[in-house]
Amino acid sequence: MIAPDWFREDRLPHIYCTGCGNGTVINCTLAAVEEMGWKRDETVFVSGIGCSSRAPGYILTDSLHTTHGRALAFATGVKMARPDFNVVVFTGDGDLAAIGGNHFIHACRRNVDMTVVCMNNHIYGMTGGQGSPTTPPGAISTTTPYGASEPAFDLAELAVAAGANYVARWTSYHVKELTKAVAAGMQTPGLAFIEVRTQCPTNYGRHNKLRSVPAMIEHLRSHAMLVEKRDRLVREGRPVPEDTFTVGELVRRNRPAMGVRR
Amino acid sequence: MKLVIDESRCKGCNLCVLVCPYGIFREGTELNSRGIVSPVLDRPERCTNCRLQALYGRMLCGVCHMICPDQAIAWVEERPFEPHRVEVEF
Repeated sequence: MIAPDWFREDRLPHIYCTGCGNGTVINCTLAAVEEMGWKRDETVFVSGIGCSSRAPGYILTDSLHTTHGRALAFATGVKMARPDFNVVVFTGDGDLAAIGGNHFIHACRRNVDMTVVCMNNHIYGMTGGQGSPTTPPGAISTTTPYGASEPAFDLAELAVAAGANYVARWTSYHVKELTKAVAAGMQTPGLAFIEVRTQCPTNYGRHNKLRSVPAMIEHLRSHAMLVEKRDRLVREGRPVPEDTFTVGELVRRNRPAMGVRR
Repeated sequence: MKLVIDESRCKGCNLCVLVCPYGIFREGTELNSRGIVSPVLDRPERCTNCRLQALYGRMLCGVCHMICPDQAIAWVEERPFEPHRVEVEF
């Protein structure tokens, strides 16, 4: 249950399009924050540029709305200056994977103690639907009118390889699991990376035959495969379906972290 | 407790229609004052949160509340002796 006092009620309704998944992700993150019992004065939400990065503007805490792709750099600074603060970063796929890719892998390598929630909607939503590094192959966007020909970035696997302490991936359909994953990431010392596949019916679904919001959610739900099931299929030597992506907790480990509260 | 949709926030995405396990939300047909077709409630007293939230003291299902991207769905306390629509089943 989200406490309504975490929202800036005077700013609502927010600017997101009809059926945008970002509002769901804000709900789940705030429910996890509520579960953690963090104080409002000791919580900082940091974001970069993009649809997803409007999120801290609707939350009644101190927040930083920073330059494009540099949200993790600013968040590292906040954490270094005040290690007693709880830092949550909202970021999008264009923000994190494209222009902020280097900041991302180095924040994972340093294992800074914060929670990164990436709202991956497979597209640059705010600027009009250009193809992003996570646009799946064959998907149509304004810069890939004949279908994206490049393979997509797997952000969660990238975070695992770069050394983050907690990595999970869910979709905006799996609200309960997402809330649990964000709460688990907040409890883990070190960088917790939660990739959320969200729907963008306006700029992604409209070009890819997923015009309605339920169709887009249904697409996400039917293409998600639990990581346990994927492992079982691999173990039994059965083929894993091509167009699915794994969801679930990908890694949880105890590497030395930076900026952990003493 | 009573289930309400905040018409000033709802954008009519019908995600609640998709997720509600009881089928309480139905797609609406009429435009409201903001030009949005928001869902209508079909016998909301069937909602498990409306009936049992006070008894258990916690949120029970709440999937519509969590998935609503516009924070439009909430449960409010009923005033005493609020009028109910009664349906007689034969």
